[in-house]
Amino acid sequence: MLTSIKTNEFAGSESKKLAMMYFRVAIILFGAQLLMGLIAAIQFLAPGFLFEVFDFNVARMVHINALVVWMLYAMIGSVYYLLPDEAGVETVGVGLGKLAFWVLTAAVTVVVLVYIFIQVGPGKESTIWLINEGREYIEAPRWADIGIVVVVLIFYWNVFATYMKGKQTGILTVLVADLLALAGLYLAGMFFTDNISMDQYWWWWVIHLWVEATWEVFVGSLAAYGLIKIIGAKREIVEMWLWIEVLMLFGSGILGLGHHYFWIGTPEYWWEIGALFSALEPVPLVAMFVHVLYDWGKEQGKAKAEGKEGAVMNNGPAMAWIVTNAFGNFLGAGIWGFFHTLPQVNIYTHGTQFTAAHGHLAFFGAYATILIGMMYLGVQGAYGIEKLRATFKSKMAIFLITFGVIGMTIALTIAGYEQVLVERAELGGGWSAFFTAQNLPWYVQAQMWRTIMGVVTFVGFVYLVWDLLTIGKQAKQGAKAA
Amino acid sequence: MANENASVWTSIRFWRRSAAWVTGFAVILLIWLTFDTLGQISMGTDADLQKAVAEKKENKRVPAPTVINYHIDYKMDTRRGHEVPVIGAKEPFFGKEWSPKEAAALLHLGKLTSQAKNCMNCHTLLGNGAYYAPDLTKAWIDPAWQKGGPMQAMTGKNTVEEAMAEFLQHPSQYPTHARMMPNLGITAEEAKGLVAFLKHMSSIDTNGFPRNFSKTVDQFKTGGTNAH
Amino acid sequence: MFEPFTDVVPSFFGMLNQGPLTLTIFLHTVIVLPMFWIYFQEKKRLKK
Repeated sequence: MLTSIKTNEFAGSESKKLAMMYFRVAIILFGAQLLMGLIAAIQFLAPGFLFEVFDFNVARMVHINALVVWMLYAMIGSVYYLLPDEAGVETVGVGLGKLAFWVLTAAVTVVVLVYIFIQVGPGKESTIWLINEGREYIEAPRWADIGIVVVVLIFYWNVFATYMKGKQTGILTVLVADLLALAGLYLAGMFFTDNISMDQYWWWWVIHLWVEATWEVFVGSLAAYGLIKIIGAKREIVEMWLWIEVLMLFGSGILGLGHHYFWIGTPEYWWEIGALFSALEPVPLVAMFVHVLYDWGKEQGKAKAEGKEGAVMNNGPAMAWIVTNAFGNFLGAGIWGFFHTLPQVNIYTHGTQFTAAHGHLAFFGAYATILIGMMYLGVQGAYGIEKLRATFKSKMAIFLITFGVIGMTIALTIAGYEQVLVERAELGGGWSAFFTAQNLPWYVQAQMWRTIMGVVTFVGFVYLVWDLLTIGKQAKQGAKAA
Repeated sequence: MANENASVWTSIRFWRRSAAWVTGFAVILLIWLTFDTLGQISMGTDADLQKAVAEKKENKRVPAPTVINYHIDYKMDTRRGHEVPVIGAKEPFFGKEWSPKEAAALLHLGKLTSQAKNCMNCHTLLGNGAYYAPDLTKAWIDPAWQKGGPMQAMTGKNTVEEAMAEFLQHPSQYPTHARMMPNLGITAEEAKGLVAFLKHMSSIDTNGFPRNFSKTVDQFKTGGTNAH
Repeated sequence: MFEPFTDVVPSFFGMLNQGPLTLTIFLHTVIVLPMFWIYFQEKKRLKK
């Protein structure tokens, strides 16, 4: 992946080169996310670890911020990568896009350094403008918010202008509409209010309508592009499925927002709206899963009927990650989300490790997987490889990361179950109830397993980076030798 | 009429139009619901609060900042089927009654400090945040902080607000668990603000979350109050 | 079947929220019904 800067085999597409720049930063931030997660996990077991030096709130803030930012980087990279393919023309304004990349990267670096070295500030407006905003997931200080808006506007302009200039495929139409909503929603998180209910009402507009609506549709578009590119699926079928997915994802996801409005001071009617709309959120995820596997089987069968031998896909690791996405999205976002989406259940599970379990598997299954798949597509393109086969390292990476994340999820689910029954149901969620549950041997064991599985995930990540750095060159040399 | 059996189910146009309709209408509904909800969760005024207390009626879901001048409890409401905040008689807060202006300024400082000190990345507020430290939604009425409770006793103070403010300024002097709160450089004024923020938050109508708050087995058997 | 009105503040949506699932089934119906109309319109178009 590194040498791809020099090899320049993108047949003159600067847009794809820009995509690789975004992927590189994304993978670095992914590593930062995992390291911060490990620190936080250790602090659960050994609270003295880095106490008053690098406290849990800092590790946790960088953990989730690195997550959001690496995904946004990989998403922007994916769009710059697929744009020339889909539109049939080179991306308009790549120069401006590169400038935006450097501005964004500089801003992210400053924000992270301030998080790590300054951490918290006095209770003044200047703190939320310069240090951090203290709102989970969107902690970035206000100056950075404004910077992000400017960078996103440049990015969106590039996408929109390219769309208008080139072919307007179904995939691009969905993307252009979806990205507008995605970018616009960020504005809902950029104000301060003394009213905590009002604060959280709008905060969820950003978090939920990103993660459970616009990001999901974005993933649908990426999967559609990936299937056409990797297994040569028929565009008509893929795009029809994409519209069905948009219908069901937005149909359930937009009003599914209600499941965050059960207990924050909002009216009772959100119980019903949140319950049934969000209960339907897994349906499109099943559809996506069926769709990916069905198309794969169909194309493979067609190739066999035509007398062609071997696998139909031209990028083994990317396909493996896309299939993991289809399954992980359904399992992590769908099943683990449904577990606690009904208010009757959620009144006990809200704010316990149950949520953490869901968060880990959902972000991984729905987003990390497909974005890693896009990185493999990028490597394939960068080196101009016709058929990219999985190496031992690719297999170790996908196995260890998936196994690690599922392990963490199961451990956290068990921890959450303990917490729900003892802290919430039995003792009613007060101060002493909280610590009673945290001290339960089974809870502590679960936290221990979570940490071990976190290490497994990290080892998988090392394999992933190693593979991304070497697989292209290796395949290229193999092709030359043959 | 060659297309008599043409199927709509495989028509891209049909799905595209349906997707546009469903998305558009869901957005309109959400905007409508948002207007309705914002009206209900906007902060009440001091007059609303006085009226509700005098007539023993239900308050605005998010009461005025002057709610810090009142006693707040959390009791089962049989009609609604869950606990609701109950705003009772007046009580001094840090030894005085706060005017609407002073109370608003104090709440502002507290909310700002809660963000500046990144509370939400260890605690949960209204159940949202991180799961490293206790939920703060009803912390104000937690028995641990009341007279006779271990937290108040540890700080050597006589009121909930003074005990909480003392703890917030020197958290690692009062270890409650191996997992301690770090010293975040919270000043005396900021601590007062934070306690006001916590007291105000405990008065928000959260539709019964957390359920059976701090109920002991004995209280459960006698059907008694949940908080104190 | 019908439960007493429990919303603190009566509002249009509170009014529809009269018992198990009344509000959400109403909203789902309103969203799905026009799809029949889109379906038959498309059917007519495809037949031509």
